[in-house]
Amino acid sequence: MKLDVNALGTFYRMAREGAGLAAGRLTHMTDVETRAGVTKLNFMRGREIRRDFEDSTAKVGVRVELTGAIEGYSVIVFERENALRIVESLLEESATDTDSDLSDEAGELDEFNEMTRSAATEVGNIMNNGFIDGWADVLETVIDVSTPEFVEGRSADTFFDEVEKAPAGDDLALLFQSQIETVETQVGFSHYLFPERESMAALLDRLRTSGGIEYDKLDGFDRMAERGAEEVAKTATTLTGIDTSVEIRRLNFVSLETIPEQVPDERLVGVAFEFDGVPSGYLLFLFDEESANEIVDAMVPTGAGDTAETDGFGQMGQSAIQELGNIMASGFLDGWANVLDTTIDHSTPEFIHDIGAAAVDPVVIQLGEDQEFAFVFDTVIVAAGREFDCEVYAIPDESDLERALNDLDVDRIEEEPTTAEFQNVTGTGTDGGAGTGADTDT
Amino acid sequence: MKTYGTEPGAPTSVQVGISELTVSDGDDTLKSYGLGSCVAIALYDPETEIGGLAHTMLPDGDEAENSDRKPGKYADTAIRALLRRMVERGASYTTVEAKLAGGSDMFEFDSFGDGVGKRNIDAAKAELEKLGVPLVASDLGGDRGRTVEFTPETGTLLVKSSDENGDHGVTEL
Repeated sequence: MKLDVNALGTFYRMAREGAGLAAGRLTHMTDVETRAGVTKLNFMRGREIRRDFEDSTAKVGVRVELTGAIEGYSVIVFERENALRIVESLLEESATDTDSDLSDEAGELDEFNEMTRSAATEVGNIMNNGFIDGWADVLETVIDVSTPEFVEGRSADTFFDEVEKAPAGDDLALLFQSQIETVETQVGFSHYLFPERESMAALLDRLRTSGGIEYDKLDGFDRMAERGAEEVAKTATTLTGIDTSVEIRRLNFVSLETIPEQVPDERLVGVAFEFDGVPSGYLLFLFDEESANEIVDAMVPTGAGDTAETDGFGQMGQSAIQELGNIMASGFLDGWANVLDTTIDHSTPEFIHDIGAAAVDPVVIQLGEDQEFAFVFDTVIVAAGREFDCEVYAIPDESDLERALNDLDVDRIEEEPTTAEFQNVTGTGTDGGAGTGADTDT
Repeated sequence: MKTYGTEPGAPTSVQVGISELTVSDGDDTLKSYGLGSCVAIALYDPETEIGGLAHTMLPDGDEAENSDRKPGKYADTAIRALLRRMVERGASYTTVEAKLAGGSDMFEFDSFGDGVGKRNIDAAKAELEKLGVPLVASDLGGDRGRTVEFTPETGTLLVKSSDENGDHGVTEL
């Protein structure tokens, strides 16, 4: 199975088109204004999909099996509470026309009964069909849909384990994810498509306009990025003494405009780098203000200067964050360079303290001159019991990435250790620019 | 995207996302959050109180394949699309005025050349000049992010930005 940017771009348009249609139908049905939120193509391992899913809230889902141009499963997932609210409003509406008993029943919903379950299934099914019609439009083909199945539970097993084609723990699956939000109330729904591998391969073949990349190399690249993420967490722990770990890690394929939309709409503290080699691109570490303060406190000895400043990050604070960013960048890119058997240099760190989207859009604009979509290596690092939330965005240049992937020797990944360098960083880190390479292991 | 509030006739607030453009009238407010090197282009006709806002990210749509599909992504095509939609709604081409905000350059990367924000500013100004639309006010460049809010009725463009200490400054254009 081979993929290229054109084929993935078509998939992306399918996902967005489908989300738009599904949102429209939900509005039509419930009279609640909705919109399609962020749409992503994710490459995720089965175990990460499950971990991502299990945030301990009860969920309900409506699942259909697809045959025809796409084979696999399409699942709409609501938080259980939200599903009940929607069903409630639907039943109240119909009850005013017909039977007041219904509205009494709907008014105090906390369990699904036969009627509410069938109403929820209907809602989910109409949304599923919205997605599927959107894909069929883009692909100009026919997709057949089975009867919907209602699923309720807390764990991913309930939702995915019966799905024959759901990825096993270690399988890298291509996942279509969309959010639909109601405008006033911030109720979100997730949509997952698990395409069957063979049908996906056939579709990719049809949509590809270039030689493309072997899918298995992407799998290798993902494993390599995993190492990079772990390296960042390890580096952060060493430098700050705060015990950190990798919480979320995804390889996304998105349209460039989606990236700033994904960043929290608040003031963030960040460090940005450009990196150069095969691949080249940009790397950003973004912290919320509280986490940044915590880091400054951990790294700068108390009483050593202007860290007591309330809001701003003085010279010492900036330097500390830049230094941390610099070493984390070396760790991350070392992970890549080692596996690719190449050298990736990175620039000196650029400090930023601004509204999240504003920190990301310059990079998106620069890449946007030559590409419409980007692979984003999206990582969240957290610390148990303390404020340390760091979002890492690595956005490589598309053509360089394709080249890097094609050169990738998948077998090397298991052999190569990744090692960050600590000894060559001195002073405040603002002098930065440490090259990272495969041959510089300590 | 136009959304409708529950009270008919009440002013609505519409978010104009990156690469989007929206035309409206009266006291509706059009908002774009977190502009870094992106440029917000606000056009309005003071006589009919019809106006529009675009959140553009790149300078040159004529060179790009997808500018038909996404006119709001590029400064040049966004200005033309805004003008066209405003005139379709009843605005008069000859009285339309423009305000611009954004185009910061926060990073000094080698690959950025003269600056990605500057390229967007130059393109927007050039297109306005070409079409004879006067630029009446602007808040451009620098190294800070901005959030803008535009009201077609008054033609007011509010620009919020924050300095290093987190103090918010509001400029009214």
